[in-house]
Amino acid sequence: MEKKNIQPQKDTAGQPYEFMIPPVIVCIVLALSVYFLVSGSREFSDNENRNLTQFEKPTKENIFDKTFMDNTSTYLCDQFPFRDGFINIKTQFEKLTFHNEINGIYLADDGFYIEPFEEPKNSERIIKILNKFPKSLKKAKPVLMLVPNACYVYSEKLPSHAVSFDQSEVIDMYYDKISMDHIDVRDILRSHNSEDNLYYKLDHHWTTHGAYLAYTQYCKEKGLTATKEEDYDIKCVTKDFRGTVFSKVNDLFAEPDSIDLYYYKDQDLNVEYNLKKTKSDSLYALEYLDKKDKYSIFLNNLNSIVTIENKKADTDKELVVIKDSYANSLVPFLVSHYSRIYVFDTRYYKLPVSRFINSHENVEDVLILYNLNTMDSDLGIKTIY
Amino acid sequence: MVFSSILFLFFFLPAFMLLYFAVPFRFKNFVLLVFSLFFYAWGEPIYILLMVFSSIVDYCNGLLIEKFRYRKGLKHVFLIVSIIVNLSMLGFFKYADFAVKSVNTIFHMNFNLPGIALPIGISFFTFQTMSYSIDVYRNEVKPEHNFLTFMTYVCMFPQLIAGPIVRYSTVSEELHKRDINIKNFCKGMMIFLEGLFKKVLIANSMGLLWDTVNASNDMAVMSAWVAAIAYTFQIYFDFSGYSDMAKGIGRMIGFTYPDNFNYPLIADSITDFWRRWHMTLSIWFRDYLYIPLGGNRVSRVKHIRNLLIVWALTGLWHGAALNFILWGLFYGVILIIEKFLIGKYIEKMPKILRHIYSLFIIVFGFTIFVFDDISRFASFIKIQFFASGHSLVNAEFFNILINFGFMFIMAAVFATPVSKKVKKLLAGLRSSSAKMTAAILSTAVYTVLFLICVAYLVNDSYNPFLYFRF
Repeated sequence: MEKKNIQPQKDTAGQPYEFMIPPVIVCIVLALSVYFLVSGSREFSDNENRNLTQFEKPTKENIFDKTFMDNTSTYLCDQFPFRDGFINIKTQFEKLTFHNEINGIYLADDGFYIEPFEEPKNSERIIKILNKFPKSLKKAKPVLMLVPNACYVYSEKLPSHAVSFDQSEVIDMYYDKISMDHIDVRDILRSHNSEDNLYYKLDHHWTTHGAYLAYTQYCKEKGLTATKEEDYDIKCVTKDFRGTVFSKVNDLFAEPDSIDLYYYKDQDLNVEYNLKKTKSDSLYALEYLDKKDKYSIFLNNLNSIVTIENKKADTDKELVVIKDSYANSLVPFLVSHYSRIYVFDTRYYKLPVSRFINSHENVEDVLILYNLNTMDSDLGIKTIY
Repeated sequence: MVFSSILFLFFFLPAFMLLYFAVPFRFKNFVLLVFSLFFYAWGEPIYILLMVFSSIVDYCNGLLIEKFRYRKGLKHVFLIVSIIVNLSMLGFFKYADFAVKSVNTIFHMNFNLPGIALPIGISFFTFQTMSYSIDVYRNEVKPEHNFLTFMTYVCMFPQLIAGPIVRYSTVSEELHKRDINIKNFCKGMMIFLEGLFKKVLIANSMGLLWDTVNASNDMAVMSAWVAAIAYTFQIYFDFSGYSDMAKGIGRMIGFTYPDNFNYPLIADSITDFWRRWHMTLSIWFRDYLYIPLGGNRVSRVKHIRNLLIVWALTGLWHGAALNFILWGLFYGVILIIEKFLIGKYIEKMPKILRHIYSLFIIVFGFTIFVFDDISRFASFIKIQFFASGHSLVNAEFFNILINFGFMFIMAAVFATPVSKKVKKLLAGLRSSSAKMTAAILSTAVYTVLFLICVAYLVNDSYNPFLYFRF
């Protein structure tokens, strides 16, 4: 009888088919850790808009209270090679496994990434503050414009079972309870929601076109004649805008937005930022086109106060705007109608705006403009009166 | 430090492995010890003294028990010293707050809470050192004479903070002589990677599902059920993933650790479940508590008493709170019922019913386990059983289904031995082209999964280790 010649199994990694896995993983690990050690650390992440954690030297104190360990762990994650690439891998994996929500953002139709709205918590407090404001003014009449976000205007684009609190309900409640006039832009935005260019797909702001629609509504209620859209010289200044919502999702395959600027010929502008610290003759800071945060071209990002003088305005009336960043793309439309516009951001302007208004005789109109997402969180508004 | 972190995977582990494989055998234990101390100090720069203290006490006790092995009285004394020291350490650092709180509630007192933070892994290393002293006392194992070797056993980082509970007898030989080779290294790495995938890909995703539902104001009945099952998956994949990673690292450096899980979610009775779940803990309680109490070789009343004591303490071991004791007792009662009343009938039930029955108990058990607040537990159960008028489904439920459905199914699949069967199939391939295809495909799959894990760790939005509380 022949004896079967049993050869000893050549197995290097348990199961024969696994032999390549350990060397590949070892190479990946070593390559990444060596790369990490030889490459310097980044200071700032444009994508996340924050300073990245840097290495801190250990001391007796930070070791015993463990802050050294916590810091080092965050440092390693923050400075890890190809960090944005890895986060994109995570996003693609989640998309492949049928997620319609990534890091709290819904993947909506037509390439939109839409942030859901959460039930506001501070409404009563803010309404109380707002209601004290008209009484503190001598002559000027304030008006409130609450701008809904993409989750309301484009609600049809959200995934079928998306959970988002109804913004309309909140706007109704505000308009119902405040003791000043309001300008309701819900209908005009909703009636145009078949157009895909009211909000950016990858940023939390409305587009210039969206702001234009709200401007026409403002003019209607204020008895002004709105400039027709075709009278503007509309220039597309970038087709490569990936905004804040993109940063949260980090989907490198998402189609970037373009930004349109509406130029009006008949203007002679003098723009002062933060009380003469910087001057310009334009409402747009084009240097932001090279940066990640391209929306900042509108009114040069965030300033506590911006003064815009238009020598060719229709009237010599003056306007005060108390606002968040949504107004930055709306204010350029208003300059034709006011000889001066003072734009306040209460997150940075810490004195009572009412005092400013009362000491400027020509200010007749006050526009308070917030989008719903910041309305609830911007408690800087408590300094308006 | 946790295994599923950038620090561990890309810096600690490579540095350790390079040094460990570079030095001659007689220094390997020392390298392991130094890295283990660093590993523990990273999480507990102060409490590390506690672990060192525990090592010293039991090292001395072991030697003294050996020295006085013919003097029963003294031998006894040193055993009792070991048990008292370990249990009082555990009692003080883990249960003092709970004890004071209970006294305050029961007797309407108002003592200040000591406010002691739980040292990581104390439940594991005290149980390990205790088992050592008891085994030496029982003459089942020779005491370790080299203090550094003994300390290496106590502090070994792979199983230090979340098990499995490795008894000294299991590794005593390997502490002195073990097979350190490429084959074990590679095999261990495969086990480690699979544990990492379980933890980072499945457990964290199921944890997110649970958190999402639990934070909801308007929970549908179906959401509550899906969430309870997801929590069961989370605990299983988190804990068994961690045990796998521990076992894998152990194997990479030449140690053979015991299995801690054997597909517990496919159990066909609760008795079967506890033979498959956290096996090293069950065995510990069996050998050091249940059998010494008399086990089942006593009158039925005493037998039931023994079971209840063991299960109340098993529950309490998991955490210093009432819900953990209730969870333990719940299992105690179910096991008693199975043993004395319905065991015979369960065996005759169709297989599918046995699985449904077991899963129902397991999932319900983890609902007791998860809520440390009785009123939240009650309202959750009410929703599950239609007692609070919540709708069967709602938008949130469908949203959860869409977002987590895939991972939920993956969890269900990998809770069964299917992957084991697939691997066996692949290993049995004969033709060389098929072998090559299997090799390339498996390498691609493991590499991609590893990169996705790294992506999640870099993202680090969600990486809590549940078993740190124990």
